[in-house]
Formats: sequence, C-alpha cells, structure tokens
Amino acid sequence: MSASASGLVELTIDGNKVSVAAGTSVFDAARMQGIPIPTLCHQQNETPVGVCRICVVDVGARVFTASCVRPVEAGMVVNTNSEKVQRARRTLVELLMADHPSPCTREQHSGDCELEAMAHRDNITRPRFAPHSTGRAKDSSSPSIAVDFDSCILCDRCVRGCGEIRDHFVLARMGKGTAAGIAFDDQRAMGESSCVSCGECMVSCPTGALTNKVFTHTALGAGPTFENVPVEELQQLPFFKGVSGTFLSLNRGAVVRRQFRRGEIICREGEYGSTAFYILEGKARVSISNPMAHVKTKGVVKKFLGKLSSKLAQRQQDQRDEETYKRWIPIDAPVDLEYDSPVAELNAGDLFGEMTCMSLYPRSATVRAETDCTMLEMLRNVLDIMQRNKNFRAQLEKSYRQRALDSHLRAVPVFAELTDEFISSLRESVELVRYSPGQVICRQGEPADSFYLIRIGFVKVTQLHMGGEMVMAYLSRSEYFGETGLLREDVRTATCTALDHVEVVRIGANDFKRMLAEFPQVREKLEAVEQERMEMNRARLAVLQNVPLDDFLTQGLMEAQSLLLLDLTSCTRCDACVRACADAHEGVTRLVREGLRFDHYLVATSCRQCLDPLCMVGCPVGSIRRRNSLEVIIEDWCIGCGLCAENCPYGNINIHPFNVMVEDLASPGRKKAMVKQKATSCDLCTEYAEPSCVYACPHDAAHRVDPRKFFAELLKPGANTGKAR
Amino acid sequence: MRIDRTHQKWLVASLIILGLASAIYVFYAARSPAGPSGGSAVGLTFGMVGSAFMVFAGLLAARKKLPVVRLGRAQSWMRGHLWLGLLSLPMILFHGGFRFGGPLTSVLMILLIMVVVSGLFGAALQHYMPNVMTAEVQKETIFEQIDHVRAGMIADADALMAATTGASDAGATKQAARAPIAVQTVALTPGAALALSNFYVREMRPFLQNDGGERHPLADTSSARAIFVELRTLLPGETHDAMKSLEDICEEERRLRRQTRLHHWLHGWLMLHIPLSFALLLLGCVHAFMALRY
Repeated sequence: MSASASGLVELTIDGNKVSVAAGTSVFDAARMQGIPIPTLCHQQNETPVGVCRICVVDVGARVFTASCVRPVEAGMVVNTNSEKVQRARRTLVELLMADHPSPCTREQHSGDCELEAMAHRDNITRPRFAPHSTGRAKDSSSPSIAVDFDSCILCDRCVRGCGEIRDHFVLARMGKGTAAGIAFDDQRAMGESSCVSCGECMVSCPTGALTNKVFTHTALGAGPTFENVPVEELQQLPFFKGVSGTFLSLNRGAVVRRQFRRGEIICREGEYGSTAFYILEGKARVSISNPMAHVKTKGVVKKFLGKLSSKLAQRQQDQRDEETYKRWIPIDAPVDLEYDSPVAELNAGDLFGEMTCMSLYPRSATVRAETDCTMLEMLRNVLDIMQRNKNFRAQLEKSYRQRALDSHLRAVPVFAELTDEFISSLRESVELVRYSPGQVICRQGEPADSFYLIRIGFVKVTQLHMGGEMVMAYLSRSEYFGETGLLREDVRTATCTALDHVEVVRIGANDFKRMLAEFPQVREKLEAVEQERMEMNRARLAVLQNVPLDDFLTQGLMEAQSLLLLDLTSCTRCDACVRACADAHEGVTRLVREGLRFDHYLVATSCRQCLDPLCMVGCPVGSIRRRNSLEVIIEDWCIGCGLCAENCPYGNINIHPFNVMVEDLASPGRKKAMVKQKATSCDLCTEYAEPSCVYACPHDAAHRVDPRKFFAELLKPGANTGKAR
Repeated sequence: MRIDRTHQKWLVASLIILGLASAIYVFYAARSPAGPSGGSAVGLTFGMVGSAFMVFAGLLAARKKLPVVRLGRAQSWMRGHLWLGLLSLPMILFHGGFRFGGPLTSVLMILLIMVVVSGLFGAALQHYMPNVMTAEVQKETIFEQIDHVRAGMIADADALMAATTGASDAGATKQAARAPIAVQTVALTPGAALALSNFYVREMRPFLQNDGGERHPLADTSSARAIFVELRTLLPGETHDAMKSLEDICEEERRLRRQTRLHHWLHGWLMLHIPLSFALLLLGCVHAFMALRY
C-alpha cells in the first residue's frame, strides 16, 4: 500500500473517486461518501471484527472481502453493490436466518431485529438451509436481561460492548465451530455471573439474543403519588452512583419516588407485592399487627360431654415445648422485631422489602410512615442492579454492620451471650455475600473455612448418601450453618444451596475460632446443637435404609412421620371423620377425604409432618418450624399470609380466621375488631388419646399410623395386605 | 363396616346371650300352661331387654351427631348397633311368644322385621360395596363435589371444541376451563366440521350434562370407543389429540356416574332403615306406655 505525502489514499468506490486517510476501512470510506454498506457485527464505537461478513464488497481480489476490517489501498476499485455481491450477502443472511428463530423476542416486541429487517428487505421468508439449535436455549436468571442463545448470531457486539466500552469483561466467546456461543464468566448463568446489569450488551445486540426484561414486566403504578425520577437525577443519588444510565433509561418507570404522609400505610403484612422501598427521608415504623398467639385446641376432656374448641393462646397462657428462650422475629427489613414488643423504627438509608421484591414472598410486616417520608420504590430489575452496584453494596453493608449485626447475632439463641466488645470486633471482618437461586454456598467434602448466618432467603441443606441426595433441613433468616466442619476442624458434612435470593453473613474460620475460645459457653451450645442435628440426621438415614421404596417413595409417603390412612375396603365414604375434625376445630376441618392411594389405603389430606417440610420455605417471618420431634409447630408471630398453605404439596395446612381486637393503624391508640388469620395444621388432637377423626370413624376405617412401621410391615414379602393394623 | 375377625368377640357374646335367652324362653314356655305371654315377668323382661337393645341401636344416630365427645369409640357403637340390634329381634319374639298380637303389636313386629332385614341388607352392602367402589372407581371424587367436577369437565370440553374448530361460541358454559387448553386450530372441511359439531352438541354435551341415563351411547365404554373411532376417520390427524381429550372427558363422566351409582347403593338403603327405625322406636314407646298403663 502506498499513500500520498498528505497521508491520504485514493480509491474508487462504486465508480466514485474518493480520498481518505490511510488506515481507514473500506466500510468507513464508503460511509463517508454516503454509500451505505449493510452490516450486523460492526458498530462505530467498537473495534471491527468482520465476523458476520454481511459487509462484503468486491475489491477485485480472488474473494470478496469484509469491508469493516479491510483498510483502503491506493488505487483500489471497490464495488459495494454488484449483483454478485448482493447474491453473496443474501446467502449470508439466509445462513444466519436458518439458525435464528423468527420472529425473535426483539422482533416480537419492538420489530427492530436487525437481521430480520435485512431478511425482509431481501424477501427471505424460508431459508434454504437446515436450522441448527445451540441446545442452550434461554437463560432467564437475570432479573433485568433475558438471554436467548438460539437468537444469537455470534456477531460479538455484546462481547466488545462489555469489554471495550464498559471494561467489565464478563462476556466472552466460548466453544468452537457449531458449538460456539457467548458465555458469562466461566459459562455461568447470567444471574449468577459477575454481570452488573449495565445493559450495554443488550443495547449492542442486533437481534433478540439479549433483550431487556422490561418487555415482560410492567412498570410501577402511575398517579400523583408515583413520581418518575429522571435518570440524571437518579444518578446524582449516592447509591445510584455507577449504575448504568443505559439501564436506567431502559427501565424508566421501574423506580419511582413516592411521598408518604405521617401515619400513611406503606405496606401491610401478608400482602403480596413485588417491590422494595429505600428510605430517602423520614422515619417509618415497622410492626406486626397480627396477635402474638398460636391456635390452641382446648377441651374439657375429663368431663362426659367435654368438647374441643380452637382459641388463640399467647405464650404466657400456653407454653409449648422449646419456647423457653426469648425469640426475635425475623422480618424483611434490616431489623428484627422483639417477641414482646414487635415494633421497630426504620430510618433514611434503610432498604426494606428485599425478599418480597426478589422472591415475591408476602410482606412480612406492616410499615407505616412515622414522619412525612420520601422513598424510592423499585421493581426487582432495579433492586438487582443496585445489589450489584459497589457503592450501594458498600452503603448497605456499612448500615448492616452498624445497625443490624448486633441484633441479628443476638437473635440467634446460641449467640445471645456474646459481648458488645466481641461483636464490635466482628463488625469490620464479617462479609455480606449474596447467592442466586440454586447456587451452592458450600459443598459437602470441601474444607470448612467459614460460618454462615442467614440474613435473607432460604437455604436447603442436603447430604449425599448412597442412593441419592437427601434434604436434611431448610434454614431461614437468623438460622446458621457451617459450624459442624469448623467445630470438628474437618470438611463440610453437607451441601448448602440457596433456594431463592439468599444473603448470608460470612464469618471467617479465624473469627469463629476466636469466638469459641473467648466464649466456651457458645462452644458448648453449638456442640449441643450439632449433636442434636447429627442425631436427627442419623434417624432420617435409618428411615431411608429400613423402608421399602417403590410406590412408597413415589407417593412421598416416606416423608411422613405420621399418616392418616383410610382403609378403602372398610370406608363407606360417610365423612364422619371430616365432620369430627371440623367439630374439633371450630368448624374448620384440617382433614379432607381425598388424596393419594397406596394399595387399598387412601392417604387422606392431613398433616404428614414431612421429613422434607416444603411448607417452611418462604415463610416471611419464619414462624413455621419443627420441633426436634419433627412435629410442625406454628409460632405465635404467624401473620396468616397463607404461603405455607400454598407451599404444602399435600394441601395439609389450613388458614383459620379469628375475630380479634387489634390496634387501628389509621387511628393510633384505638383498637378495632378485625378478622385475623392464623395457619394451623393437624395437631393429632393431642388433648385426646386418639385423634377425633379416628375416634369418630364408625367403620374402623380410619387409622393414624407411623408410615415407616406400617408400610414396612405391609410391604414385607407374603404380608397380608388385606387388613394391616 | 366390614364383618370380619374383629367381630369375633361380639359374635361370641351375642351367641351366648341368644343361647341363654333361648334356654330361658324354652324353660319358661314349657312351664307356662297358658303359653308364653308378654305381660308375664319373664315376658316383660324379654320386652325390656329387646327394647333396650333397640334404643341402644337407635342411639347410634345421636352418637354420630357428637363425633368428638368422648362417649366411646364410634366403631364400638357401630358394633353394638349391629349385634344388639340383631339380638333385639329374638328378644322381642320371645317377648311376644312368637305371636304378632293386636294391630299395634303386629305393626311393631312387621316394623322390627323390616328394620332388621334392611339393616342386614345394609350391613351386607357396607361389607362388600367399599371393595367394589375401590376397585371400580380408581380416581374417586368427594361425592358432594361431583357436580362441580362435572361443570369443570363441560368447560374443558367446550374450550377444546372452540380451540379445535376455531368457533368462538362452541360452548355455552361461562365457567373457565380447569386447565389451559393448548390445541392447534385446524381448518376443517365443512363436512368434518358439521360432523364434529353435531356429535358434540347432540351427543357429548347432553351426556356430560348427565342426560340420557345409562342408555346413552356414550355411557357404555365399548360403544363410546366405537363412536370416537368413527369420528377420527372423518377428521384430520391434527384433531386426534383433541379427540383423545374429549374421549378422556367422557371416560371421566362414566367414572363419575359409576361412583354416583355405587354411592347411592352404599347409602340409599338408609332412606328406608332410618325412618322405619324411628317409627319403630316411637311406636314401641306408645306400646310400652299403653301396656303398662292399661
């Protein structure tokens, strides 16, 4: 190549003589002359890579060249639009369309898929070539960006946008040949990767491979109380500093500023929502208005005509097992509430409603404006990007260390005796770590290096045994894990996985050991809990090893501690059992004569006290738990949201309404009558020697059984299945 | 209630009571020159024991009204009802010396025999029918929910028809389908569309609305299968999945009908047994009052 002394190169493009600076690409030279060359992979703000080849031109060489990467040469004669060039481009578009689902998400929603626009221009409706699927389909793990790998044409615009423009380097090419594709970090799901949701990739993407989820989410409500905040103003706020303006523009309406007058209710306990609140100014009062009581079935059993009735009983009136310590109530806010006085204050800089927003759980408490308040209300995509923002995280962690770590640690009974000095020393060393749904927090067999205290979300604890993985427990806020390996100075004994959006307080091994050394009583308590957990696990394993499997497992019966069985060869379907249950519980039956069949037994719908109690997952206030006897217990601070009833796969939890006097939130100081709900499950009529349903069955068809013994006996070879007792 | 080995003690006790009563009666009848009489001391004793058994049997209804109250297990009451109720017949026969007596006592005797026979019939039904129902109705529905389930099935079928034929008003029901119906709308020939529409409107929908009884062609499994086979030959292959779903809905309707029929057998006899029992107890009181008064 030779250039003139002025540094200009002369060439001919489509018959026009042009002079451009040496080093200019043919694509840019044509563009400067107003000659458009179609392209997909090339953008002016990114380094050209020439991978889509749509911009091919004829420069008189043996083959056509990609104009975006070909520098001009003196005397070059370029033909950008000859019939042969057009034919070549058309073939390339056909090849790309063959692998591209049409219409893709972008085309469906905004009609601006660049590839499909090209195909329409060239009248390509049905490509001649066989389609090839990536086999990776879709990734919806990110709350803000949807990924459709099948729509990706491997133009690399997103990869360059992420690395060159934003310096994030999260996206890259992965694989070779037909297996090639884009990947986040080391091929993680987007939501689990280090992506900060800046939105550059989806802005860069020419097709529906990376699209904004705003297409599928509605914006927050409109009206005088919902004030849209301009992007520039949002970026002025300290915690939005560093958040991508592109993202905020695309998600306009997903974050609004709201004013609440003193006394106004911001959210109510038990309601379903999808937003989180960040307090900009003012104070709010968070409380639980449902009465602090549990459903107690009482009866005068000694008397001839004694009858049961269901009442609300406070802990002082009815102390149940394992309620000897003072409990803190975990809520979806940076503070926990005290059992005796479930009220706390939230201030400017506090974020609440994270679990509702991220995992769509019911609101855990009622929040009322204590003074005139200004808040930002945001949807999940905005909260997610903020959680990934370093400034916001730093502020959140600082606030947590200063205000919440103390009460959070003390809410755990075994840590109740830690001194203020020790907690102060922990303040700077603990770490808040987030996990996405399904992400493994620690794995069985790995060295134990940390202790974890759950701040938000639910963690599933599983152990791998011969024959498969077994769920050992579900843990929620203020519960902890990881102590066993550290106490034994050994490897992890179980795998802990985030069930939803989880945030844990990670305490390093050194701090944990220091705590054990300084507080021997904490060590003793932890060892006692560990021993208890090990014994429970051993008992469950014994169940696995001793119980016949097949149908028994497939119907989930092995999960049960206690079953109500109806012998269908004796049952006349008279429903005396159901009426008895309703009679025993103020007209609210906890038993429905419907369910799975095992042999000639109907496993009626009644609490099975499962070993894998799914009912406990998602309780916004952690009020459903099990005693060490495995019996399910619903704590006094149940807010009656009904999520446990929805989660129970067997429909065995009921919501019982009660008329109670509660504080009138609209007029503080006054009380008003309201119907409040409490969750209940079958309590086996513990007041009686025999459950009412069994007692009332006139046909000897209803039986309460320990399923392991009962079915083991029933399934023995040669056992008489006609009548097992 | 199944009459099985668990009734052994009751059976033995009842046989002993019957044996003793029979022995007393034979002895008493042989020693009475004028023959046994209900008014004699022994006859009155038989009458009181028989009445007590009947009253106890009748109290089962009251016991069922108080299911939670600890008055003894309901199954013990049921066993007592069965065996003591049965024993009441020989006791009353001993009481009357195997004679029906006047009009009131004749009515009472007939009532007692009818109550005992209907009770035995009911006991036999409740012994066998649960087995039959368990075997024949694999997916049972709560009896009171059958109408609701049927309405859901009609909504499903309407939605299927609408989706298959593309008609907006194929179904007259406004109830939402129980599950989203994903069926490809197919361009049917006019003949095929008419055949499908005629079948649905004239045959299937009335059947789902519980019309036509047992004589309806869709009420019989084999004739229903033949109808659907014929329908499939008229319709393009794309509709066959929808036809399978319609066939399954018809099968569910047959199952509901079977369950209803068996349920009526299980409990229908009570419509006779209970009123007769109450009439017997009432007239028994009148008889006792009149006998003691006059």
